[in-house]
Amino acid sequence: MIHFYHVTKKFDRYSTALHDVTFHLEKGEFAFLTGASGAGKSTLLKLILREMLPTEGQVVVNGRNLNAMKKRHLPFFRREIGMVFQDFKLIERMTVFENLSFILTVLNVSPKEHKKKAYAALRAVNLQHKLNAYPLQLSGGEQQRVAIARALINDPLILIGDEPTGNLDPDLSAEMIQIFSDAHLRGSTVLLATHDRELIRSSDRRVITLDKGRISRMEGGETHIENEPRPSGTPFLSASGSK
Amino acid sequence: MAREFNRLNEPDVPSSTATYFFREALRRIWTSKRSSFVAISMIAISLLIVGIFMLIAENLEHTVEQWQGRSRVNVYFASDATGAQIAALRAHLASRSQLAKHRFVTREEALKRFREYFASVSNLVSQLDENPFPPSFEIEVTPEFIQSPAFNQEMAAVRASPGVEYVQFDWDWLARMRRLVDVINLAGLIAGGILAIAAAFTIANVIRLTMMLYREEIEIMRLVGATERLIRGPFLVEGILQGTLGGALAVGLLYAAFLAVRNTLDPSQSLLFGFLVGTFLPWQKIAMLVAGGTLAGWFGSWLSVRER
Ligand SMILES: Nc1ncnc2c1ncn2[C@@H]1O[C@H](COP(=O)(O)OP(=O)(O)O)[C@@H](O)[C@H]1O
Ligand SMILES: [Mg+2]
Repeated sequence: MIHFYHVTKKFDRYSTALHDVTFHLEKGEFAFLTGASGAGKSTLLKLILREMLPTEGQVVVNGRNLNAMKKRHLPFFRREIGMVFQDFKLIERMTVFENLSFILTVLNVSPKEHKKKAYAALRAVNLQHKLNAYPLQLSGGEQQRVAIARALINDPLILIGDEPTGNLDPDLSAEMIQIFSDAHLRGSTVLLATHDRELIRSSDRRVITLDKGRISRMEGGETHIENEPRPSGTPFLSASGSK
Repeated sequence: MAREFNRLNEPDVPSSTATYFFREALRRIWTSKRSSFVAISMIAISLLIVGIFMLIAENLEHTVEQWQGRSRVNVYFASDATGAQIAALRAHLASRSQLAKHRFVTREEALKRFREYFASVSNLVSQLDENPFPPSFEIEVTPEFIQSPAFNQEMAAVRASPGVEYVQFDWDWLARMRRLVDVINLAGLIAGGILAIAAAFTIANVIRLTMMLYREEIEIMRLVGATERLIRGPFLVEGILQGTLGGALAVGLLYAAFLAVRNTLDPSQSLLFGFLVGTFLPWQKIAMLVAGGTLAGWFGSWLSVRER
């Protein structure tokens, strides 16, 4: 579902945020992405959402080579990904309900269903009473849970979280991980970036560890594919045939 | 996988998003009340000016038509015209169906009429030894006949008739009035057009400003998969709404001005200017004014939304 082939990302000549990263996340997998602050976790997730393009290498997500994707296809591609952004990215001008309603509009969900779906999504994160609050009237943790509700609202094919429990206390964190697990059971492929070792240890999920832009460890996955040779002659699109 | 690829090609704005566009647009107009007000006023003023010209032209045209509706040709005889010459012309007129509605005006009748119309200067005429008014025929003609080529031929024949000195018809004057109406309409259109373009640029700037204000939010919308149409739709609707509101405001102001002039007009002046406030614009022209606002608004927002 998510395939990185020798991906390097440089922001300027002197620093490399990601260095020759190759990994595969198959459909239905649940993995943690971990590493120290500045290791390149956010950069990797941004590449998946095609917020930016890699300097070198290929990223294939949901069968599509992101380097080759047409700009007009980008919105439709992104609709299949539920993303919990590190900085939440809620629309401050809109209430919690309107934020969720907007995403449902984006997803072409009939307006008749907005109330019901938004309420259900907020219930899942225990924030149904904040329906009419504005994001800035909420605590960091509450905003984060709204962001989680938004990412989950329409059962995305791929669920990505950038430190999705970074602002939550341990109990709530565990609760949120349970929500992600439920989404995983419903069929989403999940990748969560976190530096919370406790959280990772308490679950026995696959873990990909980044260190200064390189993959230093992969644990728990079925396949161990560090330094896999580039499949010669095969188009990258076909690499997703397994999903 | 087929499912995912199909999703790439689904129509990106279903009809239900129209509600979202309108709600968002109204909200943005409300959020930036001040600049919206400026934009709406600009449109209203431009269209008000066009409307004033249109209204004047409309009433002038109306008046011209009324005059033309009861058009009259006066055929004056020379003072030495004989009764036989007059009888000959009368026979000729009677033989032409288009000129059949005619009336002979004697010298005495002409003098009497003048005295009645212009009582204040009538003693001036009474000082004269002789009646200065020649006998004449008054012929009623239809507007269709006036505009037909036969009209000029018939008039030439009348003019050539013996004893006839002068054939008077207001045709030239009416034609000149018609041209004036055209000029007024054109002037209004040009002045208004220039102003409307300026107004459209004001709207473009207002919307560019809103877009700057919403830059972060637009970026978020893109990241969660909103299409450019969904993102830009509310801005387009915002401009269209501002323009339409401006157009409607212009019509409202024009009507208020129309009523005000009509009601405060001094009776002594109403003879002179009253005809200019006889009727308001017909609904087609009102619709044109409002549509002009809509168009200017759409153009303005299109200008700012088009650039990334
Ligand atoms: N937009 C950017 N411009 C320049 N450098 C960046 C940018 N984004 C990230 N970086 C750099 O890339 C490295 C990895 O950052 P990031 O992916 O945010 O790490 P993490 O999320 O693991 O903390 C850091 O050294 C950071 O300074
Ligand atoms: Mg980060």
